Amino acid sequence: MRARWLREVDWVLISSTVLLAAFGVVALISARGGSAEAASSFLRARALHLALGALVMVALAATDYRQLAGPWQVIYAGTLLLLASVLVLGDTRMGAQRWIALGAFGGFQPSEIAKLALVITIARHLEGVKSLPRLRSLFPFALHIAVPAALIVRQPDLGTALVLLAVLAAVLYVAGARAQDLAGVAAAGAIAAPFLWRLLHDYQRRRLSAFLDPGADPLGAGYALIQSKIAVGSGQIFGKGLFAGTQSVLRFIPEQHTDFVFTVVGEELGLAGATLLLGLYLVWLWRALRIAEGARDRLGALVATGIAAMVAFHVVVNVGMTVGLMPVTGIPLPLVSHGGTAIITTLAGTGMLLSIHLRRRPGS
Amino acid sequence: MGREFFPQARFDEDRGSKGVAVNMEGAPWSPRVARLGLIILLVFALIEGRLWSMQAIDGGRYLELSEQNRLRDYKVPAPRGVIYDRRGHPMVTNRPAFTVGVLPMEVSNPQGLATLLAPMLGVERDEMLARLEAGRVRPFEPVALRRDVPKSAVMTVEERRLDLPGVIVQAEPVREYLLGGLGTHALGYLGEITEEELRSRPQYRAGDLIGKSGVERTYDTHLRGENGRLRVEVDAAGRPVRVLSRKSSRPGHSLVLNIDANLQEIAEKGLRGRTGAVVVMDPRNGEVLALASAPTFDPGLFSGGISPADWRRLTSDRRLPLMNRSVESTYEPGSVFKMVTGLAALGEGVARRDSRFECTGSLQLGRWVFRDLVAHGTVNFIKGTAVSCNVMFWQLGRALGEARLEHYARALGLGRVTGIDLPGEATGLVPSAAWKQRVWKEPWYPGDTLNMSIGQGFVLTTPVQIARMVGAVATGGKLARPHLARRVLSPDGTEVMAFGREIEDAPLTLTPAAVHAMREGMRAVVEGGTGAAAAVPGMTIAGKTGSAENPRGIPHAWFAGYAPVEDPALVVVVFVEHGRRGGEVAAPIARALFEAARPLLVPHPEGLVRP
Repeated sequence: MRARWLREVDWVLISSTVLLAAFGVVALISARGGSAEAASSFLRARALHLALGALVMVALAATDYRQLAGPWQVIYAGTLLLLASVLVLGDTRMGAQRWIALGAFGGFQPSEIAKLALVITIARHLEGVKSLPRLRSLFPFALHIAVPAALIVRQPDLGTALVLLAVLAAVLYVAGARAQDLAGVAAAGAIAAPFLWRLLHDYQRRRLSAFLDPGADPLGAGYALIQSKIAVGSGQIFGKGLFAGTQSVLRFIPEQHTDFVFTVVGEELGLAGATLLLGLYLVWLWRALRIAEGARDRLGALVATGIAAMVAFHVVVNVGMTVGLMPVTGIPLPLVSHGGTAIITTLAGTGMLLSIHLRRRPGS
Repeated sequence: MGREFFPQARFDEDRGSKGVAVNMEGAPWSPRVARLGLIILLVFALIEGRLWSMQAIDGGRYLELSEQNRLRDYKVPAPRGVIYDRRGHPMVTNRPAFTVGVLPMEVSNPQGLATLLAPMLGVERDEMLARLEAGRVRPFEPVALRRDVPKSAVMTVEERRLDLPGVIVQAEPVREYLLGGLGTHALGYLGEITEEELRSRPQYRAGDLIGKSGVERTYDTHLRGENGRLRVEVDAAGRPVRVLSRKSSRPGHSLVLNIDANLQEIAEKGLRGRTGAVVVMDPRNGEVLALASAPTFDPGLFSGGISPADWRRLTSDRRLPLMNRSVESTYEPGSVFKMVTGLAALGEGVARRDSRFECTGSLQLGRWVFRDLVAHGTVNFIKGTAVSCNVMFWQLGRALGEARLEHYARALGLGRVTGIDLPGEATGLVPSAAWKQRVWKEPWYPGDTLNMSIGQGFVLTTPVQIARMVGAVATGGKLARPHLARRVLSPDGTEVMAFGREIEDAPLTLTPAAVHAMREGMRAVVEGGTGAAAAVPGMTIAGKTGSAENPRGIPHAWFAGYAPVEDPALVVVVFVEHGRRGGEVAAPIARALFEAARPLLVPHPEGLVRP
């Protein structure tokens, strides 16, 4: 019985997860000054996050994903409540109410947990839907995501709201929505953009404009972008050597251990290191999508798809941001950026993938 | 029109996928998952292409940019809060000055730089190199090489800017001491923060100035304000190209002290040329009106960061000018301690006001004879106190025993810190049999009790402890916490904090008769006794002199007293190291202080007259 468990588990997925986490620890040390001593308090926190995340991962892998917490409407309502509560009693950090303080543990970001919860609810919501023949049939699902996304934008956390939209698109597509319908929804979004623009906070607008023209405002939002491009570019093929980045001195790039952690990899390990890291993500995503394909039921396929889309979007937007392909949004690089809730959420998602994989055959 | 989806469905008629690639399970979603994977792969490839173009193709250009990418964070130092005396006379302010510093990261040839720059700034070359090396741990933080650089030197540096890579000149205000450097020890001086201080103070930065002593240290967090920051892009020669961001500094809060500059001046004048300390305090609320220590030093030496030569001179001076003797040094209290013995004897019923004592000039204790200088004949308690008769106090001490003496001494605040708002306060020592056994490995002898009863032997006190003790005798058992700070004001003058009185009741049950007899004895000291030199016509003053034998030579001179007797408002303690006799050396200084304070001694419910 146990032996079978060991044989059945997706070791490739687990290995890539472990390697990504290890990459994250090295990048963290470098971003915090290049010595374990200088990074000690961060390292302690990181060890705690990884340990908790590993526990959650194992627990979820052992749990049948079909048993996850009651009817989806209950999880959904709980998620909305959690997101609304942040707006009420959230802890404001760096100008955004994204945290709920949790005594000794520091605090957590409900929007991170919300991503995973919503992957489950949207998958459940779609599970019983026989078909998505028309544009109109997408509406309930778009609404399903739009409500929490609106709450998250208010925090304000534009990045996470975009992640939810990406997850929605991927899951709807795999569930059978027609490509042109999805394109229609995207077009509608594009038309609505100017109106949404007015909903954004000033700094979010500044960041978006900085993305369009970083030179226009080199002192403010564009500044981090220029600096991070210089950091990544100057790494050249093999990088300046681990812990030898000059841009990586914290003052050049704000939030380098969190949102801009990829700049450390790019600068110190160069194209080689950056490619290796992207390669690890690709391996992880390949396994996740294989699990989606091989799932025993629609629910498993959709949950796995949602998790894969979530991680893929994170990587693409975060790395894209540091190389100037994407606007600056506070989206963490999975397992590498510093942030407890994000790390635990990613590991929880990995646990669910393992669970879907373990139960891929009827009777398993 | 799409068909419905079932796991059992054999194929998918969705437009866009004709002829389904079925995976091993034959699940209908499989092709869509595969296509999703393809999209992800394409996007990753796009990012990889972007990385390739940035790192492999344009890498050289970015590398160059990163090397030229020189940002400098200039600290915009916050003006430190002004310190005022109780009447609002500024004692310490700031004056504009220049600091020449250097960014260690940009110095490739420290030897050459020091050779060129040291003479310009008038600093030792080796000292400059040492500072530079010390700063290497934080290559991006400017290291101050010299503060308060003369204008002419600043001009020279600016002219030679191209030969001085990494050198920066910053405006940084320095402390200016007014009123002729009054209150040096109370105010304290500033210095650059040390690594050790930095560890316990996360809100400070390397290179910050921090109070090293006096109220500058105690109230540093209030006084320092918040530094601003100027982020500047500079060219390879270190010339500013443009300002990237600016964060204004927030000036520090100012501090109003309880010190009265006039009294402070008289105290310091009295100590001039001597070694000693003066504490003047309001016993009703603990406000410290003067606090002096001699010898003193020129705080201006620290304004621009003290030079190693000056520092060596100050620290190797045998007379220890940096030491604040009023709180940091402990001395034998000598006869001043007789207040404790007397009060204990009265309180414990061992003696009363009219008890009679025979003074033959000596006291026999077993095989030992304790000798006094004078035979006073028959004295009562008042007279014995007035003439400071050792024999009487020996007899009282013998009758009390060391435990009761110890209890009273501790109850009156000896042997522990007073809690004055100054760093480095000494605790002093009240001996006991247990303490002697522990430290000296010897039993407590009756002779120790006799010595203790006249403040000799093991007892050690600080002048500020004596001031608090006298205050307690004056007020009938109220121990006030001495404090120099009166108010903290924000830069716009609104009150941020006010320091009120903190009174603790001495754990004694003193009968009014006992307190009264002690006061009467102390009043007799000034009115014709050993402390006659402290008398001021038209004022009622009580006190006690002391000349404390000490192993280091001539006895120390003490005077500790208060006025007015009927409504104590002022305690004056004067201590002169090796001053021989309290009545001759210390009492006159006290008199000058009482005299000067006379206008202040108007009864007021809250203490002395407000500014």
